[in-house]
Amino acid sequence: MRQEEIMHMFPQSMRGKWKKVAQMADRLQEIRLRVNAPAAVLIDGREWFVDEHGSLLDRPPDGGGSEPEELEELLKHLCQYSLYAFADEIRQGFITIQGGHRVGLAGQVILEEKNRIRNLKYIRYLNIRIAHEIKGVSDGVLAYLYDRHGKVYNTLLVSPPGCGKTTMLRDIIRHLSNGTLYGPGMNVSVVDERSEIAGSYMGIAQNDVGIRTDILDGCPKQEGMMMLIRAMAPQVLAVDELGSEEDVRALQMASGCGCRLLATIHGSSLDEIRGKKYMCHIIAEKLFERYLVLTRKKGSCEIEGIYDKDGLRC
Amino acid sequence: MLKAVGGFLILAGCIGFGGNRIREEQSRIRHLQELIRIIRRIQNEMVYGKHTLPEICQILSVSSQAPYQEAFDTIYRRMRQEETCLDRIWEQEMTQSLRRTRLREEEREILRNLPRQMGIREEKYQAESIGQSMDLLVRKCRQAEESYENQSRVIFSLSILTGVFLIILLL
Repeated sequence: MRQEEIMHMFPQSMRGKWKKVAQMADRLQEIRLRVNAPAAVLIDGREWFVDEHGSLLDRPPDGGGSEPEELEELLKHLCQYSLYAFADEIRQGFITIQGGHRVGLAGQVILEEKNRIRNLKYIRYLNIRIAHEIKGVSDGVLAYLYDRHGKVYNTLLVSPPGCGKTTMLRDIIRHLSNGTLYGPGMNVSVVDERSEIAGSYMGIAQNDVGIRTDILDGCPKQEGMMMLIRAMAPQVLAVDELGSEEDVRALQMASGCGCRLLATIHGSSLDEIRGKKYMCHIIAEKLFERYLVLTRKKGSCEIEGIYDKDGLRC
Repeated sequence: MLKAVGGFLILAGCIGFGGNRIREEQSRIRHLQELIRIIRRIQNEMVYGKHTLPEICQILSVSSQAPYQEAFDTIYRRMRQEETCLDRIWEQEMTQSLRRTRLREEEREILRNLPRQMGIREEKYQAESIGQSMDLLVRKCRQAEESYENQSRVIFSLSILTGVFLIILLL
């Protein structure tokens, strides 16, 4: 199934080249395409180059780089020949495609007034990040997320990019929604700004996020959180990638409404998060009762530690 | 008696022929109106619904009339299954369904070439670009509507006159 998903990312004319890579779909993390440079893939944390026949090489091949037209065609295909429908996402530098995979884009920026990005043209660099739904990845941490009365702690997942925080968040959401040994199933609302958690396609979640989960897809976090609280009365509210003061403010407001919070943030340690201007007072206020820090060691991702609201290891 | 019946049949045949030509023109106007409605819906779905083209085809497969309904349904299904180039699928399906209409070749061409105007990265401008096709169709439809009344009157009169002329000739 996943193999097919990878193949379908490419237009029919390019599928032959990507057949071998698609066979390794379960271990595939990234596909990088650049004009006039060989295609590269990241498999199990190791970089490989792909020649024009689709073979994997450990050093860059001579030639075999992508043509600008090839990337244009791929982009059109990824956007289902409807680039206008992805305008907002392209403006932000990425698009999310069916299955929750994220395609990062780079090229020439078109600016409008006040140096705001209006659009991207000459898109010549693509980075396809493969979303992996790994069920059970959070099994080991669930016990730390509930108190003795079965109440869920406000939890923040801290991880550098590519360490699996969205995968972990998705699995925690699924568990909280379905119910676990530690507590009954709860109504979980998710603000899925980049469609990465549920991987929604035409409004339907492509990933398993549990039976009591409501998803607000493609909505900015600040607006989405309050909207869900008003409309869906969640017991748990989940968001991915806190990244601004506004996000944190919305989170504080949401915590005052009586629902439990589940969020992720980019970072490599708790100290680094404390150092972020918009995060320091939220940590001082002890809004989060659990911190789950993920890290990458020797190419593989693992849980570095679980900390309580005072920053002490659990 | 036989002559009278024969005369009546000739007259009825000529009027029927004329009526058929009028109905053909009526059908062309109806198809032009439907095409305008379809393109307007595509624009709205682009700007307000932010739907992709395959999604718009799915919507139109329910909301448009035959023979377009079937064409949009097939385009949507083929895009989901084969995922080949939209331009090619669109052209194939539209050619097939437009063949059954009374539209003129240049009018068919407008709908067939619609995907060639795709590829603009902002929904507003994309919709505007498609709007050019609609403007063309609106103009053609208006011309057809304006000339329809005169044309139908002329065709009707001519068919009666032809019938009468044939009767006189055969008598």
